[in-house]
Amino acid sequence: MKWLRLVRGELRKLTTTRMPWAFVVVLVVVAAVNAFAIVLGTDADGSKDFIATAEDQRSLLAFGANAMVITGFFGSIAVSREYGHGTVVPMFLTTPRRVRAVLAQLTAVFVGGGALGLVGAGLIIVTGAISIPAVDFEFVLSVGTITRILAAATLAGGLGAVLGGGIGALVRNTGGAVVGVVLLLLILPSLAPQFGSQAASWIPGTLVNVISGVGDDPALAGALLALAAWSLIPAAIGLTAVQKRDVV
Amino acid sequence: MAGPDSAKPIRDGQLGWNPVANGEQMHALEFENVTKRYGGAVVVDDMTFTVQPGRVTGFLGPNGAGKSTTMKILLDLASADAGRASIGGTRYRDLADPARTVGAILEANAFHPARTGRNHLRILADSGGHSQDRIDELLDLVGLADAADKKAGAYSLGMRQRLGLAAAVLADPPVLVLDEPSNGLDPQGIRWMRDLLRQRAEMGNTVFVSSHLLAEVEHLADEVVVISRGRLVASGAISDLQTAGTLVRTPTPERLSEILKAAGGGVEAREGALIVQGLAIADIGDRAHEAGIALHELTSLAGSLEELFLGWTELESPDDSTREGVTP
Repeated sequence: MKWLRLVRGELRKLTTTRMPWAFVVVLVVVAAVNAFAIVLGTDADGSKDFIATAEDQRSLLAFGANAMVITGFFGSIAVSREYGHGTVVPMFLTTPRRVRAVLAQLTAVFVGGGALGLVGAGLIIVTGAISIPAVDFEFVLSVGTITRILAAATLAGGLGAVLGGGIGALVRNTGGAVVGVVLLLLILPSLAPQFGSQAASWIPGTLVNVISGVGDDPALAGALLALAAWSLIPAAIGLTAVQKRDVV
Repeated sequence: MAGPDSAKPIRDGQLGWNPVANGEQMHALEFENVTKRYGGAVVVDDMTFTVQPGRVTGFLGPNGAGKSTTMKILLDLASADAGRASIGGTRYRDLADPARTVGAILEANAFHPARTGRNHLRILADSGGHSQDRIDELLDLVGLADAADKKAGAYSLGMRQRLGLAAAVLADPPVLVLDEPSNGLDPQGIRWMRDLLRQRAEMGNTVFVSSHLLAEVEHLADEVVVISRGRLVASGAISDLQTAGTLVRTPTPERLSEILKAAGGGVEAREGALIVQGLAIADIGDRAHEAGIALHELTSLAGSLEELFLGWTELESPDDSTREGVTP
């Protein structure tokens, strides 16, 4: 299968530089900050009620929304630097059918982003499971809840990377692509309430929380579809641009 | 780090592939009326020529003449606004297995600086479905065995060119399209590359090499295609081109010019003389004699490629007649 060959080549690209490891370091730092917040943080009344119940702990440890932003940066950098370094040239020489080549590239960043999401959620849960008992509270999340948090973070990580990859293919400049991810995943969602009372239910953070089991509006199926749309629409725009433009 | 002369001499059969002996198809590169515009600027203007297999064809032109753009159009990295470029009659995107058909170097720096040379080749082998076993052999061949696990960002320009050449021949393709491959190579490296390309051509491969190093092309190429300001100004075998011109002095240049043009020659008036191309020296003399035209000088012009190149590119003007006159 030619396409699987391309995906293997793209995966090797991701694993033969230090870039993914830099993101793992970011995830370790985020997990450490989360653990410190559990150990040192208090509610306004000085209590630690914010980690008392299973709902509280699930809300605190659900990493999917953060995973999507972090892997958005990962995908945008992974794809846009291909243009910056000129390594898209051998890619499109190997596969002049550009749609096929870009789909392989996006598949690879989906896998990479998913792995980062899984690692990030795993680190958050492990540090949570250590730090919550350290302040005399019981770690009460069930295996089923933990599994759902991990699965949601993996999916959000993969979709975030595809979103970033689409922006990277569209913009072709690393700085510009990162700014694009900031606009789409951080600034635009913060403006959502201005577009109507229901708009906040359809921003990526809310959708990932629904998938993680933290919220229930919108319904799970709708949240999955909407989150996929947030990812696939930028990817489709990037793919269309690659198809129409000269490569170099 | 690999030394300048660390590339291995190329032995007969070392590259292990001979399209003629294997009965494989030979691939001519054909450019038919190719035109490319960027904004309002025409960078490739109605370009038509053919690059034959079994020959090394040099692609010459001043900086900005449109050489790289022409190569990118051939390889479907840029689209032509008009015309067609094909490889063995097939557009690049329609080749059954382009990576096994064409090896190319278009940019010396098309590497991730943090990736090792070996990993760069592994990625290409993965994507193209080529054997990983060949990578060590190629790294050794291009003299990068000792630097294979160093990051490409630490490579000199010459080492990057060698890595690019290794990538280009990774799949043993019958067609090589190389944009300025000798840039940054030391004299030993240039000699090594010349031997490699000549051997490929002798095997029946199509070798199309752009360069601004005229002396190098003179040593390397069998044929040249010369462009200036996006237009073809000369093409043909170097040996033919170097003796293609005849200087004629006559008291009636206008009349002789008409006669020679009618006979199919290219005629250009220069410094009180006529420069005639496309007609044999004896033919010019006979036609002048038949017309009763006195000749004061009839001299075959043989020049270095550099002299010819400068003449062609200085002559180039928007006037079509000049261009056609120079093209044999």
